[in-house]
Amino acid sequence: MRTIPQQREGRLLLVPLVTFLLVFLSFPALVDIVYALSDVTFQTMRAPELVGLRNFGTVLADPEFWSACWFSLRFGGLTAFIECALGLALAIFLSPIVCRYGWTIAILMLPMMVAPSMVGLMYRLVLHEFAGPLPYYLTLWSGTSPAFLDAGHAFWTLVVVEVLQWTPFAFLLFHVAYISISSEIREAAAMDKAGAWRILWRIELPMMKATIAIALGIRFIDGFRVFDNVFTLTGAGAGGSTTSLSIYIYQSFFKGGQIGQAVAASALLFFTSLIVLYAGGMLKSYRERRRVAA
Amino acid sequence: MNILRWLVFGIAAIAMNFPVIVTLITSFKSAKEIAMNPGLIVQAPTFANYARVLTDTSRFNIYAYLFNSTVAAFIGSFLALLLTLPAAYAIVRTGVGKKHLLPVVANLRAVPLVVFAIPLYMMFQFVGLLDTRIGLGLILTIVNLPLSLMMMVNAISDIPGEIDEAARMDRASAFVILRRIVGPVIRPAIVTAFIFGFITAWNEYLFGLMLTTRQAVPITVGSSFFFSASGGGVQWGIASAVMVLGAMPPAILGCLIYRQLTGSMTAGAVKG
Repeated sequence: MRTIPQQREGRLLLVPLVTFLLVFLSFPALVDIVYALSDVTFQTMRAPELVGLRNFGTVLADPEFWSACWFSLRFGGLTAFIECALGLALAIFLSPIVCRYGWTIAILMLPMMVAPSMVGLMYRLVLHEFAGPLPYYLTLWSGTSPAFLDAGHAFWTLVVVEVLQWTPFAFLLFHVAYISISSEIREAAAMDKAGAWRILWRIELPMMKATIAIALGIRFIDGFRVFDNVFTLTGAGAGGSTTSLSIYIYQSFFKGGQIGQAVAASALLFFTSLIVLYAGGMLKSYRERRRVAA
Repeated sequence: MNILRWLVFGIAAIAMNFPVIVTLITSFKSAKEIAMNPGLIVQAPTFANYARVLTDTSRFNIYAYLFNSTVAAFIGSFLALLLTLPAAYAIVRTGVGKKHLLPVVANLRAVPLVVFAIPLYMMFQFVGLLDTRIGLGLILTIVNLPLSLMMMVNAISDIPGEIDEAARMDRASAFVILRRIVGPVIRPAIVTAFIFGFITAWNEYLFGLMLTTRQAVPITVGSSFFFSASGGGVQWGIASAVMVLGAMPPAILGCLIYRQLTGSMTAGAVKG
């Protein structure tokens, strides 16, 4: 029942959103392109001097840029994997009590409700060598406590911080996917004398495959672009060992005042994520087409 | 077996909420006790830290930070709904925008926010929106658009087409249908989307850090002020009280709607 006037009305309804997107995305994109190609500081912001692709060359030749890339990739990959593994295990193991007592979800969800930046600040207290409970109890029980935030340990400390805050997200996705598997399927499998492990590996996990992929993807993206908790917990300290890509861009902009370079780096990041997202979309529609064909 | 489950639940709950627990406990300790006793048992609980934070606003004014966060988060969440509700209706009922607009907005969620921060800083400086609550609210709208749109699309897809078909036969305009029919039917989804957007916007840090300096500083940024340089190190008790107050609004909202949140958040995630 699609008529022409309806579509016209439909376009009208899209106008506010599209206008907003044009103002807040295309204008910045334009600014980005100009500044990425210019030599510009805070003083010469209104009169950028075009220098071609020099900024991109500077960024690509900067070892700190590459170490920031490596940090973000490693951080995103590791946290996504650990969060999903833990979340999946918790969702399946705890499902009998979580289904019965709904309030347990609220408790497990609470960490996600707190701002990541504040969680970073809170860990400054938790890990503080004099005021923090964790070093206090570790020293009390084992005699020593590691320096959580020095160059050697900071990366893993941050991984644990991120994992503890966002495992609930993976848990929640898996919980919903797990309870939506119909009980008839489980009963049928049990009828065939399949054990609990076999049902898990052969039936339940394959049925949750799509959710697992989505959870991994979302958690990787969020880990890759991490800024808040890393910035408030270690700053860019710990010998530069915790500079994520977002922090690198922020720092070259505000601290260094190298606007052109910062914008070039963010443009690189933007286009890389576009390519990845586009490839993801292509892959998805290819799979769907194949499924339809099969 | 269930005892084991409760044990695992207890350990997970404590580990995940550990920073919140520690902060809450520390906020009730006096400065003297913090220096002597970093443990988790408070010997002499006191409200002095809260009293100090709430009455002494000469250096850092927590009311201003909380107010800024409230206004900016309200704008960010409300405006996102205002923009996405009609768009979602058009997308679901007429199919316009399904092919390009929907994926573009949904993918915004995956773009690192810092990419927008620098050009928007320039743009805001140009039009005088730097360090204003409205400016911050406008940016938080961008942050909220993807999930808001997905949630609205899902909610409207669930309404049977016959309901608004009848109204359309009577030549009711789309605006009237949205306000009189679709809006009321999906009100629960709208409330959930609003609260979820409010929490997301309240918890945002990067834009607050980059785009505000004095007038419009949100609580996420303001609370970090209590950690930096006050001569003689951080006053942990006071800093903890600030963080408890700053983390409370989203935590309470989250607890109020956690049941709906589970469903809608996963819906947004799965279809995005």
